[in-house]
Amino acid sequence: MIPNLASPGWAVALIFIPLLGAMLAFLLPRIGVTLGLLAAVLTAGSVLPLLPMLAAHGATNIRIGGWGAPLGIELSIDGLTMAMLAMTALVGIAVSAYATCYLRPVPSRPDGQPDLQQRHFWPLWLVLWAALNALFLSSDIFNLYVTLELLGLAAVALTALSGGADALNGAMRYLLVSLLGSLGYLLGVALLYHAYGTLDLGLLALRVGDETVTRAALGAMTAGLLVKTALFPLHFWLPPAHASASAPVSALLSALVVKASFYLLLRLWLTLFGDLDSGLATLLGVLGAIAILWGSIQALRQARLKLLIAYSTVAQIGYLFLAFPLAATGGAVVWGAAVYLVLSHALAKAAMFLTAGSLLRFGAHDRIADLDRVVHRLPITIGAFTLAGVSIMGLPPSGGFIGKWLLLQAAFSQGRWGLALVMLAGGLLAAAYVFKVIGYAFTPAVVPHQAGLVPPTMEWTALALGAGAILLGFAWPLLWPLLEIGMPFGALAPDPGAAVGPWLGGPRILAP
Amino acid sequence: MPDTRSTSVPGTVRARALPAGPGPTARLILLLLLAAVLVGLATAVLSLPPVAPGLGAVVTEHLPASGVEHPVTAVLLNFRGYDTLLELAVLWLALLAVWSLTPAPLAHEPTANPMLAALNQLLAPLMILVAGYLLWNGGHAPGGAFQAGAVLGATGVLLHLSGRRLPRAVDGWPLRLALLLGVALFSLIGLAVMAGGAPFLTYPPASAGGLILAIEAAATLSIAATLAALFLGGRP
Repeated sequence: MIPNLASPGWAVALIFIPLLGAMLAFLLPRIGVTLGLLAAVLTAGSVLPLLPMLAAHGATNIRIGGWGAPLGIELSIDGLTMAMLAMTALVGIAVSAYATCYLRPVPSRPDGQPDLQQRHFWPLWLVLWAALNALFLSSDIFNLYVTLELLGLAAVALTALSGGADALNGAMRYLLVSLLGSLGYLLGVALLYHAYGTLDLGLLALRVGDETVTRAALGAMTAGLLVKTALFPLHFWLPPAHASASAPVSALLSALVVKASFYLLLRLWLTLFGDLDSGLATLLGVLGAIAILWGSIQALRQARLKLLIAYSTVAQIGYLFLAFPLAATGGAVVWGAAVYLVLSHALAKAAMFLTAGSLLRFGAHDRIADLDRVVHRLPITIGAFTLAGVSIMGLPPSGGFIGKWLLLQAAFSQGRWGLALVMLAGGLLAAAYVFKVIGYAFTPAVVPHQAGLVPPTMEWTALALGAGAILLGFAWPLLWPLLEIGMPFGALAPDPGAAVGPWLGGPRILAP
Repeated sequence: MPDTRSTSVPGTVRARALPAGPGPTARLILLLLLAAVLVGLATAVLSLPPVAPGLGAVVTEHLPASGVEHPVTAVLLNFRGYDTLLELAVLWLALLAVWSLTPAPLAHEPTANPMLAALNQLLAPLMILVAGYLLWNGGHAPGGAFQAGAVLGATGVLLHLSGRRLPRAVDGWPLRLALLLGVALFSLIGLAVMAGGAPFLTYPPASAGGLILAIEAAATLSIAATLAALFLGGRP
């Protein structure tokens, strides 16, 4: 049986279509936008053939160069990877469509900048997309480091693209923080390789034991990835970077880039470190709880829409980390809930930042208090914001509701009343800051201002993402079996024998 | 940071006071934290086995099948070629990022230093020769694309300093092509072998040596062009 030669070639396409597209857009800047859009459509389309393959073969490994671990590098696809790839494709295609309109030079406001922005946006964004897909697919801890580097550098360059002192300051801080995080991760890689003689996640899972070096690697890698994921109190770099970037870039950063480092942390946790009784899970849970409260309160205090949305990201990231203490007894369902929150937050937050971009284009400012009955002029945009807000608040029937409900259920059944209270309070605070924006959208402002033109594409892409976040709420019966392919979260019932995870399931065992 | 002003109005960039450094208490806490991290890491490093298991034996075992005779080149270009491909992409991306920020500062007037120009006339051909030697050497001894590219890139920097400029005809798409030739050829070869049903980047054993040399030659050119262009610090 040679599953490696079947259609998993599409996984390679997911990395190389955007990479080659980026190169072509760089080489031929005159038709860069067309090439970029084409590459975006093809990349998003390449996710589709992987679904039937995954359903038919289960989790699959691809041996790059034909060598196989431990000598070579392997890619691996299971349900968790598939979900992240699909999330990236959905957000990616919507943001691509939005960016063609948003970055086009506006005749009424000749900044002189957008033309160059558009020209550099496409290669950078396509490299970012390739890096995201490569990160989700890789099962080699050093290769994962290379993808992290690629991802971080592309994200920083995109942040700085909007120009201006705020963006450059934010990007510079982001660069330093991102490098620090990568180095922490790399330190862990070095320790693990020296101790266990392999870089492959699946082989490492078999070899790691509860030793000092494993704990040191756990500490270094977790710290590095927490910095990149912006968990409180390491979130200080996120609001300036996400709020000062241009709207499509903010959407990508908040929806996808912080999720990539969270995914990597989750993967390491599930594969290597889950069995270490280090008390770290409790610490992550506490930090997550503080992040929810702190981020939500800060969001509520902001006068500018993009900063509000950025602080909301800080809060929503907190929810993801509540899964760590809860999963110890809650098992696979709790991890599933966290992944559900990742997916729905990606769609909702991308919708929100795109909305903020449309409002910025409309009123040439993003002061919340001066939204000035914008609902009359941009009903679709405000509709998109509301739908996304419903998911962020965790109201039914949205995707955010499912994730938070499952976490809440786990907290109640485990008697963790503190965490449950924080989750409920976070929901109320989220409602407060979402309704603050919607309220001002209905209120006449003191200062009248001239209105800019917002292309329909910009309005409808945001609405599609917002609607997607709601529809996710109905998709649980479809998505849960998908997530379970390859059992990335271990067996359903906590079973000590199956704790090593998915990387051993499937074809690895059959291969010599 | 609540800010009621809009950032989209040009010319209202706030002058921001530099944040004051941490106070003495914060410094002490920071020092203690760093000391704790240091002790933890030292403990971990000391607990490591003196002889690492490593993959050296596996690499040696598969070396004959790699198409080259030097283990480092075999790992970089064959066994873990995918990593190297992505690293080449990182190098290109770094340049892309610099170019997206700013145009190159106005090229200085060619310095009329006759000594430098004369020295370069002597050095440049020699350095190109050394780069070629390093590239060829990579197949069986220390050397390879990164070393050769660094020497070639330094040649470009020296020539720039002595006042030589790229002709207008090549600083458009030919320069951009040179910058991504390495990663592009690497990717295309990797994808081309998939046509025969092999996984990505599986070189046919018979032609592995030739393919690796071609990739290394292209990578040398790209690395050199990227390093020299990074030295200029902006898009042409």
